[in-house]
Amino acid sequence: MIGNATQSGRDSGASILARGMTKVYGSGEGAHHALGPIDLDIKPGEFVSLIGPSGCGKSTTMLLVSGLEPVSAGSVEVDGRPLTAPITEVGIVFQDHLLLDFRTAMKNVMLQQEIRGLDKAEIQARADVLFRRLDLAGAEGRYPWQLSGGMRQRVSIARALVHDPSMLLMDEPFGALDAITRTQIRHDLEMLWLDTRKTVLFITHSIDEAVGLSDRVLVMSKSPGRIVEEIVIDLPRPRPAHLGEVPAFADYANRIYGIFEKLGVYKFR
Amino acid sequence: MARVLYPALAVAVFLGVWEVLVRAYDVPLWLLPKPSDFLGRMMVDHALIAGQAWVTSQSIAFGFAIALVVAMPLALAIVSVGTFERGLYPVIVFLNIMPKTVIGPILIVWFGINQMVVVLIVFLMCFFPILVDSMAGFRATDPRLYYITRSMGANGWQAFRHVRLPAAMTYVFAGMKIGIVKAVEGVIIAEFIGSGAGLGFMILRASSFMDQTLMFSGLIATALVAMAFNAAMLASEHWLMPWARGRAAGH
Repeated sequence: MIGNATQSGRDSGASILARGMTKVYGSGEGAHHALGPIDLDIKPGEFVSLIGPSGCGKSTTMLLVSGLEPVSAGSVEVDGRPLTAPITEVGIVFQDHLLLDFRTAMKNVMLQQEIRGLDKAEIQARADVLFRRLDLAGAEGRYPWQLSGGMRQRVSIARALVHDPSMLLMDEPFGALDAITRTQIRHDLEMLWLDTRKTVLFITHSIDEAVGLSDRVLVMSKSPGRIVEEIVIDLPRPRPAHLGEVPAFADYANRIYGIFEKLGVYKFR
Repeated sequence: MARVLYPALAVAVFLGVWEVLVRAYDVPLWLLPKPSDFLGRMMVDHALIAGQAWVTSQSIAFGFAIALVVAMPLALAIVSVGTFERGLYPVIVFLNIMPKTVIGPILIVWFGINQMVVVLIVFLMCFFPILVDSMAGFRATDPRLYYITRSMGANGWQAFRHVRLPAAMTYVFAGMKIGIVKAVEGVIIAEFIGSGAGLGFMILRASSFMDQTLMFSGLIATALVAMAFNAAMLASEHWLMPWARGRAAGH
């Protein structure tokens, strides 16, 4: 629905292909090997989660895939094109909402239109639809400090989607929210995604979120992060609020816990 | 309404008690004038006092404006260029610690007794708070926000105009509010030592003639000038930063 609201809207998202992708920050003695080498093969419209312990390079992966940071070795292609500069066909959501204090909720979203120089009426119409879909009606004229944490994060999701990007990158987007808000916003995101089928790379350290949202979960090892296991989540959508009611969910979750224990992420005695 | 009424009442009561006491104990004029004396003097000599107040206001406005125009770009340069940060900032901290009025006699040697000296001292008084807070402001933006603007295809200028500059404004205004208080404080001292005009000069002259009434009139005029500048600052903040309205009360 969101995707089809405009002619430029496409039915499927971008593909991401990475080979031997590696990131080393700094050089010489102080060099920090943050990530890789890892391979990624994300199909258009796929919802893929990266899960792993803190500091394993999940966020770095997102920055490399969007071209915001250059790779130290290996290659990344988006839609078959090698990355040389930051891609703009993308929406980004971080753990902190990163909204601008001095703009209202709607104006924060419309920053996309102003900077990209897009047609105002068209983007405004899309923003209005997103505000309705994300349960933000009435929040348009409010400043971020007047909104709850959950609403701020909803506004930042609207900002990431308003220009109809082919890819959505989310770095622990629900990490700062309470459990009840998180469950609701997870469902709302899933419903939006089902309508638009954008490619989503979702970074999390919550097993619930990874299994609850993804087509495929990539489990990463401790730093320097490598992908140690790929788990295809074959559960019907939309997925329920209480994931525990699905027996298969527990199996997937157990597998991930098992991998973490094997990797030494958890040391339970 | 009550916000204006109660303070006005308090001032009226204060002046009334002052008037009654000075009359009752027959305090001589050269020691302590009555409110009716100096308020009356303000009426009679309003041309003189207003003229001097205008000179003082100009000095504040120029000194403050120059401080703002120099401090904001300098703050941005210091925050953005590592060499400036390491080389320039210690010098600025040193200059900030030094009492600014000490420079007065040196400036008089350079420029003579004139308004330039006053403007420069006002500039020095409000320059540092504006600089320090502007630096904090230009540092305040979360670097990840630039990832977001770059993913929007924003160039450096757009990121500055849409994100960094407005984000810094809350801090710049905090510095400006401290700066304007320092400016009105500094301007009178500067006019004491280095000027042939302005309220400070007028008060000093009145002092040498034992003209207590005019000194008290000058004191009131100085307070009015200070109030006007503070009010102008608050009004421009209210106008330029609508997002901050009610924020302090709301949190």
